[in-house]
Amino acid sequence: MSIVIQASTRATDGPLLELSDVRTHFKTPRGVVRAVDGVSLTLDRGRALGIVGESGSGKTILSRSIMGLLPPRGTIRHGSIKFEGREIGGLSRRAMREIWGREMAMIFQDPMTSLNPLMKIGAQIAEPLRLHLDMSKADAWATAERLMRDVRIPAPGRRLHQYPHEMSGGMRQRIMISIAIACGPTLLFADEPTTALDVTVQAQILDLLGEQRRERNMSLILVTHDLGVVAGHTDEIAVMYGGKLVEMAPTRQLFANMKMPYTEALLHSIPKLADPSHTRLNVISGRPPDLVNPPVGCRFAARCPYAQTRCREQEPPLIATVEDPRHTYACWYPVGSPEYHEAKERRRREAELAA
Amino acid sequence: MTTSVVASRAADRAHEPSWRQRLPKGGVLFSILWLGILVFLVVFADYLSFIRDPDAKVRVAGRLQSNYKLGPGYSAWFGVDGNSQDVFARCIYYARNSLQIGLASTVLGLLIGGTLGVLAGYFRGWIDRVISILIDCLLAIPALVLAVMLIFRLDDIKATWTFLGWMTRKWQIIMTLSILAIAPLARIVRAQTLSLREREFVTAARSLGAKNGRIITKEIVPNLVPTMVTVAFTGLGILIAAEGALAFLGLGLTESWGFQIESNRRRLEKAWWATVFPCLMLLGTVMAFNLLGDRLAKRFDIREAAV
Repeated sequence: MSIVIQASTRATDGPLLELSDVRTHFKTPRGVVRAVDGVSLTLDRGRALGIVGESGSGKTILSRSIMGLLPPRGTIRHGSIKFEGREIGGLSRRAMREIWGREMAMIFQDPMTSLNPLMKIGAQIAEPLRLHLDMSKADAWATAERLMRDVRIPAPGRRLHQYPHEMSGGMRQRIMISIAIACGPTLLFADEPTTALDVTVQAQILDLLGEQRRERNMSLILVTHDLGVVAGHTDEIAVMYGGKLVEMAPTRQLFANMKMPYTEALLHSIPKLADPSHTRLNVISGRPPDLVNPPVGCRFAARCPYAQTRCREQEPPLIATVEDPRHTYACWYPVGSPEYHEAKERRRREAELAA
Repeated sequence: MTTSVVASRAADRAHEPSWRQRLPKGGVLFSILWLGILVFLVVFADYLSFIRDPDAKVRVAGRLQSNYKLGPGYSAWFGVDGNSQDVFARCIYYARNSLQIGLASTVLGLLIGGTLGVLAGYFRGWIDRVISILIDCLLAIPALVLAVMLIFRLDDIKATWTFLGWMTRKWQIIMTLSILAIAPLARIVRAQTLSLREREFVTAARSLGAKNGRIITKEIVPNLVPTMVTVAFTGLGILIAAEGALAFLGLGLTESWGFQIESNRRRLEKAWWATVFPCLMLLGTVMAFNLLGDRLAKRFDIREAAV
């Protein structure tokens, strides 16, 4: 006997997740690192949100802050995290344990290290089922087999009794997905779920995630550095830079009308298939900001090709666009503004002169 | 066509290791053979006709071979000692004590030291601090001095508490040696736990709502086994040597290689066999455990332990 546990059975009204001014700081010998510095966003039921940013932008820390998976020592947390209308920001580990696995689950970056090498696959999938749903061993293993079939693993009956080293990276990530969705969480975090995988497998894993999300009516938070990954698999995208949200919009809207030069730079840094070979890759020059002493003004100013004096002095607030109130951005001279065009023209002329 | 198939098969065969290549190399082969034969002899000593009763006096043609009269040879492989007893038989029977004491104290040390190490490494904080201070204190006292002190203390304790009658000399030595084993074992298990608890699969288990107890027993401890086995092997050798040392000093058992060496060494020039053979037994056994430990450490990539 096996059952599929669906998230929809517990649905209530209101947004699933509401963050307001979430700040996560770490005490280090160098000073306080402001890894996440004032993030507010909401996520509705059944929707997929992509959090995009480069290394050190705070995207992973944000997702772990929501999950409450950060080490308790040396971590300072502010702001409110409301999950299904309930404040979970300050909950103890004991209380969070009720939420972990059952309400929220997480898929990690590297499937090679996120499975216990000494435990059979079946036991690892069955573990949360037995833990949260009090299933008998036989029921849990039967459900595990069914979950493996759901994530498209061939011959699940045989695979159940294998160990992680007997499987490929893509298969292990499928196993991770089946473990995470086992208890029917309402919110699934996927932290760079395809970074450690082959390009050919990446698309399969992302499709699988999307399909399981729709089937189970889960919400998904997809954390990645690759705008290309989130493009086809999310409803909304939040772009993070230096611990702050710099742009957020429905996926279509963002790609059609991006406002933040950082988002534009991220998009340009994806190599295009149509380019001739040996085309130089576009990079964002400079380094991410120091999060111990973040710069005054816009945090991206130092690397922004269109930055003006104002950008270095005043921090731009997160404002909505005229066209769509769901599209917010933090930039004084967004893409498409006269100042932006002026700066772009100036740079083009300078480049020509130099040539 | 046919020839190429044959050629490729031959090539395959060439790549396949022969039985000779499959055998473990030098040191490990020696260790396995030595320990295998020793354990076999020790277990079946009572039933093997070529091992005499260790207390029986050796007679050749009805004449007592007293006072080291018989050297190594056919009738007594390792010769006889001052009481005309067979050195070979004694070496084998005394190996029983050595192996039992070594094994028991390693197991005890692993249980206590391992538990302390896991607790310290997993929970960190004040638990870690208390246990680490304890370990450092144990490590600060020279091992042999500590062992001598402990044996005398245990004697006193046994004398005061009548219900401790079961605590024979052998148990006293096992307890003493296991206390010596606790500190290094706890230290290395703690270090390994520290690295394991940060591994992604532990975080993954936690993110699914597993409790601490479950994480420790299912995720951490199974992954500690290679380390524990490796350290146990190296430790076994050292503990057996320590047991010999205690016996040599007259604090251990009299049925021991150490005591055998001690009681015969004054007659080394006249009857070298009575001293040298127990020495070789001790050397071989300690070396076998050490070599195995080294090999395992290399295999599991465990850095030099502070054993």
